[in-house]
Amino acid sequence: MAQIVGGFGISHSPSMGTEYDRGMAGRFDPRWQLWFDGLQPVKAWLAAARPDHIVIIYNDHLNHFTFDAYPTFALGVAERFPQADEGWGPRQIPELRGDPAFGWHMCEQLVRQEFDLTVCQQMRVDHGIYSWMPYLFDGPWNIPVLPLAVNMLRFPLPSPQRLQKLGVAIRNAVAAWGAGRVVVIATGGMSHQISGARFGMANEELDRRFLDRLGPDLERLVAIPQQELIRAGGTDAVELTMWYAMRAALADEVEKVYDYYTFPQITGCGVVVFEPARHSTAQR
Amino acid sequence: MTVDWKSLDAPHTYLYTGPMSCAGERINRFALSLKIPANRLAFLAAPRAYFSNYSLTPAEMDLIERRDWTGLMQAGGHLQAILKIAATVGESLWHIGAHCAGMSVEQMKSACPRRRDGLPPGFP
Repeated sequence: MAQIVGGFGISHSPSMGTEYDRGMAGRFDPRWQLWFDGLQPVKAWLAAARPDHIVIIYNDHLNHFTFDAYPTFALGVAERFPQADEGWGPRQIPELRGDPAFGWHMCEQLVRQEFDLTVCQQMRVDHGIYSWMPYLFDGPWNIPVLPLAVNMLRFPLPSPQRLQKLGVAIRNAVAAWGAGRVVVIATGGMSHQISGARFGMANEELDRRFLDRLGPDLERLVAIPQQELIRAGGTDAVELTMWYAMRAALADEVEKVYDYYTFPQITGCGVVVFEPARHSTAQR
Repeated sequence: MTVDWKSLDAPHTYLYTGPMSCAGERINRFALSLKIPANRLAFLAAPRAYFSNYSLTPAEMDLIERRDWTGLMQAGGHLQAILKIAATVGESLWHIGAHCAGMSVEQMKSACPRRRDGLPPGFP
């Protein structure tokens, strides 16, 4: 059976992508250079993890989906996932690949576990994935990804408990796939609010504690209402609840391999990498 | 503007709901049309003519022409959609944020990050 060898949660933002492009042109803003440097151990961990598949739980920002039809959960099953033009034209970076056979397997298994997903045979992906991807992978990006988009834009949002269950369902679905090594990633957050008079708020205490407690204290985090997370961390801190799915997908117990945190501009940027604990059932 | 840092209500915080999504349907459809480069050019060349494709009300057109980002949000525009309008007219997320908070872009840039502390009840 396939094995989940680890996973991580990571922030995303439009500027994370555009500042990477500036950095590669030799003009890294010092604040973003810190983030680039802080991600190098994650890049090394990923290379050593040698994944055959990468499952990515993320959210779209009205760049592929519109409110004409906005899915709560949507799975991308396609051979490629082109960049969405967010209004500034395409960036010069590689294109994400997919593996439809793996995608349909995951779809079948998730629906069987009562996650009735929207399946997208065409899915353009925005900065939700493309902003941090080039920091962590040298091109061309040949490892197939499976993007799973979650509604984080309009209430009602899927509950923290539901996202935890999604993670468990992903774990079971991967275990039912023939062979190979799988990494699970969730992206969003950390503390930030980009509308209203609280625009620009940052809660480093919340962010650092979240990175510290996601491993051992998932149950207690899941019990916190999304509104309270928003009150303390800003409207867009609610994206952190997607990290519950990644954490739950890995194993009952995990070991933290690495974490890093900085606050370059408007968004708290954090990353935390886990592997299943050595004695954990997932590694049996 | 005095900010209530714990408030989940306007003007401090906008939680985007289903009814807002219905109220903002025309604004959001217009805004997201601007993801296409040709549409951006058409809008900039003749705003009023371009508006006519999206059944916008006079009040909505007025909010767009005055770059009243806060008003657009209160009328049901989603931030991620409004951002496309701002980008098309040469403004940015900073302009939207500054408008929402009642300060200049420079003031907002120097105020960020606006640091707060405190954890939600029950946080481990």
